Amino acid sequence: MFNRRWLLVVIGVLGLVGWVLAKDAVEITFWHAFGGARTAIIERMVEDFNYTHPGIHVSVEFKGSYRDTLNAAILAAQQGNPPHVVQIFEVGTQLAIDSGIFVPIQDLVTEDELMPEDFIEGVADYYKIGGKFYSVPWNSSNPVLYYNKDIFEKAGLDPNKPPRTFADLLAYSERIISSGAAKIALSAALHSWYFEQWMAAMDELLVNNNNGRTGRATESFLDSLAAKTIVDWWGKMARKGYWAYTGKLEDWDGAEGLFVSGQAAMLLESTSEVAYLRKVFGEKGIGLGVAPFPYPAKYIDGTPTKAPVGFVVGGASLWITKDHPPEELQAAAEFVLWMSNVENTIRWHKLTGYFPVRKKAVEVLEFEHWFDKYPEYAVAFEQLLSSKSTYATRGALTGAFLEIRTIIEQAIEKVIAGRATVDQALAEAKRKADAAIKRYNASVGAG
Amino acid sequence: MHQARFKGRLFPFLLLAPTLAILVVFLYYPVFQTFRLSLYRVAFLGLRKTFVGFANFSDLFHNPDYIHSIVVTLIVTTAVVIGGLGISLAISVLANQKIRGARLYRLLLIWPYAISPAIAGIVWLFLFSPGYGIVNYLLSLTLHIAPNWLGDPFLAVFIIIVASIWKNLGYNIAFYLAALQNLNTDVLEAALIDGANYWRRFWSVTFPLLSPITFFLLITNITYAFFDIFPIVDVMTKGGPFNATNILIYNLYREGFEYYRTGSAAAQSLILFLGVVVLTLIQFRTSGRHVHYGGA
Repeated sequence: MFNRRWLLVVIGVLGLVGWVLAKDAVEITFWHAFGGARTAIIERMVEDFNYTHPGIHVSVEFKGSYRDTLNAAILAAQQGNPPHVVQIFEVGTQLAIDSGIFVPIQDLVTEDELMPEDFIEGVADYYKIGGKFYSVPWNSSNPVLYYNKDIFEKAGLDPNKPPRTFADLLAYSERIISSGAAKIALSAALHSWYFEQWMAAMDELLVNNNNGRTGRATESFLDSLAAKTIVDWWGKMARKGYWAYTGKLEDWDGAEGLFVSGQAAMLLESTSEVAYLRKVFGEKGIGLGVAPFPYPAKYIDGTPTKAPVGFVVGGASLWITKDHPPEELQAAAEFVLWMSNVENTIRWHKLTGYFPVRKKAVEVLEFEHWFDKYPEYAVAFEQLLSSKSTYATRGALTGAFLEIRTIIEQAIEKVIAGRATVDQALAEAKRKADAAIKRYNASVGAG
Repeated sequence: MHQARFKGRLFPFLLLAPTLAILVVFLYYPVFQTFRLSLYRVAFLGLRKTFVGFANFSDLFHNPDYIHSIVVTLIVTTAVVIGGLGISLAISVLANQKIRGARLYRLLLIWPYAISPAIAGIVWLFLFSPGYGIVNYLLSLTLHIAPNWLGDPFLAVFIIIVASIWKNLGYNIAFYLAALQNLNTDVLEAALIDGANYWRRFWSVTFPLLSPITFFLLITNITYAFFDIFPIVDVMTKGGPFNATNILIYNLYREGFEYYRTGSAAAQSLILFLGVVVLTLIQFRTSGRHVHYGGA
């Protein structure tokens, strides 16, 4: 009898200890969309967070592309088991809000904790929706032009004078190809992101209601003169053999591969590739040029555009799903704020090239003379600072954005294949995009 | 002959229950749900459903992109099945010879089947990628050409077909080798004594005797080309360029899981399902008659 009672006491004590311990470390999960070298960076950051926050344990998982990660999170939420923190790309913002599975970060933490005024302007402009932050801006970037200085020299071009406009790109490409300096003049993924950037550069809207910022978007402007200007230029670059298609939409790796392997003279990519490209070119002993993103200076009819008004901040932010106990939500909030604090945004910037998203982080970097020492990192940042804040450069919001991206890409694809004229392809794209927006709005009961 | 009989009617069903439960939960219920969903327009996240009857189906057949996808699927399937079976049969016959190291060859031939289709896709991507592909690297060194394998619609379909055939070779060869080794040697010997030459023996004796296994492989290869080459397409071309490799199963995935058009995706999976049923029925009706099962 005595023994049994003792046993019960021991079990009780052990259970209590276990409960206290379990309560001690709040388990949260974090899903992100970064493969390759960035997985290691993120895992290291999470490790540091866990080390410095003994009460919280974050498990991190790589879920594939941006699209894959969003899909996986939504499916998991449907099945009642969503991850606490999800990295969602900028164009998924409206979709994430409408899904109703997330809790706005501003409802979870105080103003002092979030410090919304401390986010740099372009970034805050994108992610503040109706005056409110739903998510914490994390990896943010602008596109830039990378070029191979050795190939420029071989082609007789001044390696310190990169092309600025669409017309420059055509002229430089002609020179590069005819001189035999490289097989491909310009490499770029067939990605709608660039199209969106050029629309913004000309201060042109992608969808109505001020890019969906003052009301739900109901119509796209894919058949505008600006859109035609971009697609016509892309078609020319392809037909003349200046730009090479890797065969896959949104093929970042393939496009970068053509540039890194020395087959292409120039590359359009995000500034987030700066660290990687500097390293690769440094190892090969080839000069890497980084320049502001080129823009269309004239419309297709010859009239000048307003470009470059500015560019849209691309990238992703961190969202917290809502159906969790309060202590887990608090832990998740602590984690996302930590990921974008001054120290970590600096580390993230240096290791990748993404913007430091905090103003205080920029001050620290300037104090270190970081941008003087590594001017390649400064190109996109100066571009961001000189961007004017308009509805065009703040970026479009629509729940149908994922589908519209594919529609835009397929229109460009048709033109470069010579299967449709610019007008035909864009008229079809507008029709499809408008239908997609209508279907989406109806499905969320807003139209 | 003594036949074991169960006492009571309930007992056999009790024994079957676990299997039936799994079938119902994981097969019949989803099929039923798919059928139901195909009649609805589903809002993203499944928050809202509107009954639309057969509108999802009629939308599909009025959509030129979908018709294109059907054509692509038929071309790819035909090529994968005919090419795959032809090559596997030829290789199996060669590998069935009594030569040194035959067992090693056979082992190596079956090898590709052991890797997952996604890995196969990556291997082929490393071969034919325009940026870092080994094939183009070698071609430009030797012949100074660099075809855009995955950027040209015609070549991309070709590469997808070749990769798909390669991936399934091991499976087909395993079956053909087994069948060849179990052939009734009496008939072959009789043919030999009758003075038939090698080709004659192959076409008049071996080939008809293999028809049951060919028939079986025909069905499994059609299913393979319809469904299982999805990862290869996803890794290598994502349905491109210009939708040239947008097979039905990839189109379904994109609409269902990227655009959240659950209703349309459900309709598409039903169409795929019916397509396979019809194809299989046709196969049973026509080829079934010519299949020679040997014996009396």
